[in-house]
Amino acid sequence: MALPVLICDDSLLARKQVRKSLPDSFDAEFQTAGNGLEALSILRQQEIGLVFLDLTMPELDGIGVLEAIKAERIDCFVIVISADIQPEMQKRVMELGALAFVQKPVSEDKLSGILKQYGLI
Amino acid sequence: MTSIGFSDEQRDCLQEIINVAMGLASDKLARFLNTFVHLQVPSIALVGASHLPAEFEHRYQDAEVALVSQGFFGDEGLRGEAIVLYQMENAHKIAALLGYDVGDVSEIEMLTDISSILTTTFLNGLASQIENSLSYSAPRILSSRQGEVTSMLENTSFHWEHALKVDISYQLIDHSFNCDMILLIPGEAVMNIKHILDRILEAY
Repeated sequence: MALPVLICDDSLLARKQVRKSLPDSFDAEFQTAGNGLEALSILRQQEIGLVFLDLTMPELDGIGVLEAIKAERIDCFVIVISADIQPEMQKRVMELGALAFVQKPVSEDKLSGILKQYGLI
Repeated sequence: MTSIGFSDEQRDCLQEIINVAMGLASDKLARFLNTFVHLQVPSIALVGASHLPAEFEHRYQDAEVALVSQGFFGDEGLRGEAIVLYQMENAHKIAALLGYDVGDVSEIEMLTDISSILTTTFLNGLASQIENSLSYSAPRILSSRQGEVTSMLENTSFHWEHALKVDISYQLIDHSFNCDMILLIPGEAVMNIKHILDRILEAY
């Protein structure tokens, strides 16, 4: 059965890069969000298995989304894909419960290992 | 503001490439300053170079300003001059954070260092995403008494057609630090950038 996946990034290019970086064997049904608030409203209404989440976004940033997911106990995996690669940011993201931190620009090499590790492909 | 036609898709693509490059520069800067840097999305605009002095006159009219300028050269006609503009008041804060004496000669070295980190890390990040590579000339620093920023910018931007303004705003943990980065580029470089963006967009 296809996994419901949410791609959240304010950049159209970045959202396309995520899609393009996913292997063919990854069976998913995609939705997209352009900022953190849009992402949360989808996450509150629907069952989403996996979120690809950008950090630096307008309205509500990725940290805000991770905090809300944790506080509201929303059940989903989150893979953060970010240009903000400072060690302290990576640490914060992992402490907030993200599965993995991926440095932008995203690629198939970077994603397939993580997806395999968690049995998603 | 005169904006030279990027399509919406080209603009989104350029913004994302710039965000990634800026992330690399912030990480380098954070390591150099040994503090966490809060990264904001830099706003970008492409303007005619002749408009630059007027654009910045207002923002910097009452301030003592330092301007660091560095040339860059790459393949496919990609070349230009990167300028970083600081208010000295901001620079003094950073100097204090790093333990320099305010007004010390070494404060100038510090500014050159920070500018070089920002400029070369940023531009290398940009270049690698568009499969180009750049070399650089040595940075030059020009500081200014109040009110001279307009003539400094006039002198530097005189030879160039276009300017890609990247408005950088850094928030350090206890300090705010703003600077402007301006990339002065010739007309053919703008055309090249558009072709490169279209190539990237076609790939996705």
